[in-house]
Amino acid sequence: MDPIEFRLPHTIQRPKATPNHGPRTHTTRPIVTGTSVIAFKYKDGIMMAADCLASYGSLARFRNEKRLMSVGETTLLGVSGDMSDFQHMQHTLESLLTQEYDMDDGQKLGTKSVYKCISNIMYNRRTKGDPLWNAYVIGGLDNGQKMLGFVDLYGTTYQSATIATGFGGHLAQPILRRRVEGREDELSEEEAVQILDECMRVLFYRDARSLNKLRRAKVTAQGVEISEPYMLETNWSFAESITGYGS
Amino acid sequence: MNRLAEQLAANDMSEFGLHNNNDSAAIAGPSFQLAAGSNPAAFAHHFIDAKSEKDSLIKIAHGTTTLAFKFKDGVIVATDSRATAGNVIASQTVKKVIEINPYLLGTMAGGAADCSFWERVLGMECRLYELRNKKRISVAAASKMLANLVYRYKGMGLSMGTMVAGWDEKGPGLYYVDSEGQRIANDLFSVGSGSTYAYGILDSHYRYDMEVEEALDVARRAIYHATHRDAYSGGIVRMYWVRETGWEAFPLEDVGQLYYRYHPEIQLTNSAESPLTVAPLA
Amino acid sequence: MMDFAPMHSAPAEVPVEHHSHGGWDPYVDNGGTSLAIAGKDFVIVASDARQSDGYSINSRYDPKAFTLSNQTVLATTGYAADAKRLVEVLEQNAQTYFHKHEKQMSAPAMAQMLSNTLYYKRFFPYYVFPILCGLDKEGKGAVFAYDPVGNMERVVYQAYGSASALVQPFLDNQVAGANQRGHEGGLLDRETARKIAIDAFTGATERDIYTGDWLDIFVIDQTGIHREKRELKHD
Repeated sequence: MDPIEFRLPHTIQRPKATPNHGPRTHTTRPIVTGTSVIAFKYKDGIMMAADCLASYGSLARFRNEKRLMSVGETTLLGVSGDMSDFQHMQHTLESLLTQEYDMDDGQKLGTKSVYKCISNIMYNRRTKGDPLWNAYVIGGLDNGQKMLGFVDLYGTTYQSATIATGFGGHLAQPILRRRVEGREDELSEEEAVQILDECMRVLFYRDARSLNKLRRAKVTAQGVEISEPYMLETNWSFAESITGYGS
Repeated sequence: MNRLAEQLAANDMSEFGLHNNNDSAAIAGPSFQLAAGSNPAAFAHHFIDAKSEKDSLIKIAHGTTTLAFKFKDGVIVATDSRATAGNVIASQTVKKVIEINPYLLGTMAGGAADCSFWERVLGMECRLYELRNKKRISVAAASKMLANLVYRYKGMGLSMGTMVAGWDEKGPGLYYVDSEGQRIANDLFSVGSGSTYAYGILDSHYRYDMEVEEALDVARRAIYHATHRDAYSGGIVRMYWVRETGWEAFPLEDVGQLYYRYHPEIQLTNSAESPLTVAPLA
Repeated sequence: MMDFAPMHSAPAEVPVEHHSHGGWDPYVDNGGTSLAIAGKDFVIVASDARQSDGYSINSRYDPKAFTLSNQTVLATTGYAADAKRLVEVLEQNAQTYFHKHEKQMSAPAMAQMLSNTLYYKRFFPYYVFPILCGLDKEGKGAVFAYDPVGNMERVVYQAYGSASALVQPFLDNQVAGANQRGHEGGLLDRETARKIAIDAFTGATERDIYTGDWLDIFVIDQTGIHREKRELKHD
């Protein structure tokens, strides 16, 4: 039964409380989650990586998830955080791409537009108090111009030559800043791949919610390319020498 | 199935903020965006410290010592000029007297934005009243309009303690109006954290039959002594006199300078190291 | 306590490690500092460009001072996402004004509009501390400072943001000469104002962890807006 309500004698209308039946529609905490995404600029474009794990709390629940996707022809999207919210975003972007295709006006959806679109969705959702619990990394090439941006559940946005979400922000970002900052236009693909793998290896060693099965992706003038999952070589012998704090 | 698909599509479009973009400022009349969720008032209370009570994220600039009184030749209005946000002095140069129109003044205590916004709305309403009725609005009506305006938002966290002073057909008018919905008529008011100090001076020196010079002096001393004892008051003394011809403003006076003017009257029992002997600043 | 969660029975418990309990906080403070100084026929505006979230630096160059027209600049601090949205709303309204009246919005008109825009979100504010800069009708430098809900004051100088408690007293001393014997008073000339703005930021970068990386400087005068980008310490 609905509570008794007195209509206010003026213009303010307080939103009605959600009824106490029906599905929960707010993400108040993430459930099935993906961990870090790392990305940076290099000579030919943008390089990005994310592992294949979707965790359910501390349980390594889904070990073959795809957390990198292309949006149109020149844009790469990486996601961390709640996977169901990511799937919602995927649906939204797919419908956007369909609309764009139906327009048939010869215009292509560029990276900047995709970035702005996702940013607006994220900010509008946080303003509704119903955020999409994700951090997105958007990379691409717009008329040969490299672009790499970040959006999170608060709608906070920024662009940078190196970006890492979640744990990556603490463990991978310092490595990326040291090796990439100021060298965005000279890094070769080989070196970029090597940096990427180094970061992902460090993350695998220390992030308990990560997996050593991952994908990497790049955007170049040739378009978006997302690799098949591959394994990282690991060497745990260093663990023997750790003593004291952290052992 | 089709209806479901339609609903999903409609839902998708709203994601782009194309519909219902209630974020862009409303055009006609005040219309406020509320926080989403079941209790926007609780939201406002949690995040906004309108009354300087909490350690909230959003600290609002505050007004602090204001006074006004009627006397035989009209109404005197005086204020300090300090605004604080948390423990920080946000400004020493605030204008806490709001000139609603040439015959009406409002003072500012509580949330600075709340006072200036609603008294600006009041100014608009008073002008509309003039156009509709071909005469100036009474102080009683104006103050009641303000009280009704803010009463609609009672419980939403507005913070406003204001005095509406003016001159109308009945002579001088003075009302106290606040965001809780109170509206009181009287000959003398003081509002703000420094009001108790100001009342101390006013109550011992106020007389209805004062001349203007004496009235201004009482007002100035009341504000000065409030700034001296209340940390949340300070800056400069601003004074207005409202009479039949409307209001007029007086030159601003720095309370730092007034300290030296009033110094001979302050007798400390232990004056050995009193700094009062230092020559005043130029 | 604010709680966005709708009032209904708890969902099936899942073994999730959650960092936040109950409601979620829709605000973040992204740090950074902005200042403005008005002169006789110019205004100088400066903002650092670091964006942070807690102890992490998000970006070394995410500008928080925006040109709203060819005569006005808005410097912000606080929650970057709110600031960016606020700028979009202002630009949109200024554009509408332009087409309606066939003239650019003046700085004082923009100032009042900004105040109202902020107040219309009085019960769900933008967590932004804006400083609006331009020239007034007489061509004098105009600086308007606001609180997050739209209280407005025209001032000669203002510092807001994570280092405001360091910079504002410095400006009180160097610009106003507050309570100093024999200080001339009066407005600064352009080069002095620029040097003071730069010094303020070198100092703030030294002592405030949220300020640094790059400095955007804008000088607004009769001829338009002149931009300068300088390096600050990256530590």
